[in-house]
Amino acid sequence: MSQTAIIITVAYAIAVVIGSAIAIAIWRSTKRPLDEDRAGTWSRRESAWLIVVVLALFALLLGTIFYVPYGESAGANKQVVRVTGVQYAWAVDAPAGIRAGTPVEFLITSTDVNHGFGLYTAGGGKLLRQIQVVPGRTQTLVHTFTKAGTYEVLCLEFCGAKHHEMVATFEVKPA
Amino acid sequence: MIDDGARAVARRLTLQYLGASTAILAVSGLLGVVLRWSQAVPQARVGDNFWYAMMTAHGLGAFVGWAGFAVMGLSWWVLAGVGFPTRGFGLVMARASWWLMVLGVAGVVVTTLLMGFGASWVFLYPLPFFGSGEWGAWATGFFSFSVLLAGLSIVTWCFGILHTVANREALHAVSTNVFRRLGVSLGWGYLMPRTFATNPKPVPYAVIPLAVIGIDMIIATLPLAGLLVWQILESAGWVGSADILLAKNILWWFGHPVVYLLLFPAVAAYYWLIPRYAGRELVAGHVIAIAWTVAVIANVLVWAHHIYLDYPDGTLQAQINTAMQPMTFSLVLPSALSLYSLGFTIYRSRFRWTPASTALFFGLVGWLLAGLSGVVNATIALDVAVHNTLWIVGHFHHMAMLNIGLLIFGATYALLPELTGKALYSERMAWVHVWTTFVVGMLVFGLWLVQGLDGAPRRWSVLPSSYDTITRISLPLVFVLAAAQALFFWNVLQTVRGKAGVATFDERGIPEPAKGGRGWSAPAAEGGLVLAAVGLALAFAAAGYLVGRETGGGGGTVTQPTETSGSATGDAARGKELFASSGCGACHTLADAGAAGQVGPSLDGNARLTEALIVARVTNGQGAMPAFGDRLSEEDIQDVAAYVLQASK
Repeated sequence: MSQTAIIITVAYAIAVVIGSAIAIAIWRSTKRPLDEDRAGTWSRRESAWLIVVVLALFALLLGTIFYVPYGESAGANKQVVRVTGVQYAWAVDAPAGIRAGTPVEFLITSTDVNHGFGLYTAGGGKLLRQIQVVPGRTQTLVHTFTKAGTYEVLCLEFCGAKHHEMVATFEVKPA
Repeated sequence: MIDDGARAVARRLTLQYLGASTAILAVSGLLGVVLRWSQAVPQARVGDNFWYAMMTAHGLGAFVGWAGFAVMGLSWWVLAGVGFPTRGFGLVMARASWWLMVLGVAGVVVTTLLMGFGASWVFLYPLPFFGSGEWGAWATGFFSFSVLLAGLSIVTWCFGILHTVANREALHAVSTNVFRRLGVSLGWGYLMPRTFATNPKPVPYAVIPLAVIGIDMIIATLPLAGLLVWQILESAGWVGSADILLAKNILWWFGHPVVYLLLFPAVAAYYWLIPRYAGRELVAGHVIAIAWTVAVIANVLVWAHHIYLDYPDGTLQAQINTAMQPMTFSLVLPSALSLYSLGFTIYRSRFRWTPASTALFFGLVGWLLAGLSGVVNATIALDVAVHNTLWIVGHFHHMAMLNIGLLIFGATYALLPELTGKALYSERMAWVHVWTTFVVGMLVFGLWLVQGLDGAPRRWSVLPSSYDTITRISLPLVFVLAAAQALFFWNVLQTVRGKAGVATFDERGIPEPAKGGRGWSAPAAEGGLVLAAVGLALAFAAAGYLVGRETGGGGGTVTQPTETSGSATGDAARGKELFASSGCGACHTLADAGAAGQVGPSLDGNARLTEALIVARVTNGQGAMPAFGDRLSEEDIQDVAAYVLQASK
């Protein structure tokens, strides 16, 4: 699992546990019904709840906005790899090979339909990075491989009957 | 309150919608079982394109044809229940919407299952025109037309809803201006009581989400209708290609709000039914009207969160996507406030726990689960880890089945007696159905979340083998989930047939268990078991048929006797087909194949080509050229080599 996936797993698990506890509490509360009418109080507190939710979302926005992958730069000392997606193959064009440790600028395009460039470690490994591939346009993805070895490209946008066979492998050499 | 005639009209409408959508659930649910089965069991594997065609039918069928159509139908009865009769123009629209949806779904079934259209329900342009020989222009044209009918069904439904919610008498509205009355229906009377004056009090809460979605789905659907018309014209050869990135934006311009075509009418039903079971009015402050006003605007301005990972160089897409993250977050507000309101409506009330109200309660839990995973998807920096993985599939199944689906089941159990005048056949059977659907559904869809976090790609007919274990664990659970739905069908059928006598209601209008207590009585148990067995047998039979069809047709994994074994060279005619279907032409130029690719070397007149070189390059790849050795057989590659040698001269 990638680091982001681990963060999601932990956060979602905590949220689900809290949500379930609240649901069970509401369910059990109906065993001891209230006779007085507190609807007015609860209705007024709904505004407070609104503020809590807005603040939580604002915190999430601020906490994640700096990790948005748009407009990445590989710097001057980059390795350029051109990738072309077609139904149902990837052409990974790296004439000089790919080395670990130096930023790689993937320039990715498609000649037919939309594809998804999903970068995985080999052999049922983890999803490192992904980006959509739009026909006739170039998408830029910057990634620095930390380890040498075999990597896989899986198609992550549905592209037709052999979508699941659209897999390519390439080697990354030591730095 | 409205008169008996108007109630009879609404009753008939709702029963028609529920009847058709329940039948669609049966078909599309079975397709879903076969899809997972095919992934889990190699022997049950269906042909690749057929799998994707079934996926297309399952997606559109279950999401729009079942869940969407069912809540669209429930809306007529909810509106009647809060005093809004459907009549005149609104009634004409309501009836037209039913026919358009039924014809549209039928068209989708025919074009996918019979004509092989398998471009998925998002039919991401220009994929419909790149069928790899699996489907042609006719299928694309008919499919686009069928989806257009479903889209028009949604638009006509919206007009019917807007006509109904703007009803002046029902609103007790002072104004004769229809736009001001729509403002009243949107709940603005809570915020600005003078401008949007009503008498004696603001609009019932259940009306607000329906007014919101009635406006939004018209705005959302019309551009998609334009794209569909374009696809129809292009399949007839009358127009050229459309802009791909624009088409993607138009698709999601519709694709996001259509989710709320399910959610908002469901919220209206929650607002109306939960207070009945709680025995108190909905706990809600005026602030809820603010949230719905945010919703009516934000709903049509968040489409780009489905294409967060599209940001081609030299376009504005990255800026659009970034702007839409906070917009998407704002859509959390109506859900968060509604869950607060509904939660406090139940909290320490004299809540009457029946199968119906339990399903509604579980539906609220499903809403929370789907909402939380939705917040992950809405956050660009987190979406990169789960986009187009099975996490998304888990997310929207939580949404569609455990929120909307349980609301539909709960509303059906709660309302069928008052809609038909007949008592629910078996309360016990309903208990088993509701609990099983929630618990087993949580597991089945939760396993998708787990697989997705592990990077399992979405929309793969055959998953990478590292995900096999969890796929196989989920399969028996899928069967149990399907068998539980058989109990629902049987229960509804027996209820409609009047097997449990006349319905009676308590002082809150909640249906009472049938007289004579047909709980887990023998006929009910037997009937359920029989139906479950028949359902399973049918599923096995269908899968057997599909496997047989694929292997018998020579298109599957069974290798035919080698006809060319005596000859050293391959079959050039077969090679030509393989050249096209393997996508060689995308990179290479070969005039004979109509290929003009510029990525790799041109093959026309290429003097270096020998049979051995072609076989070696195709098998092992080199440089940018991918290796095909793992997806084409040796014989296939011989055939391609024979063709390329012959055609390049």
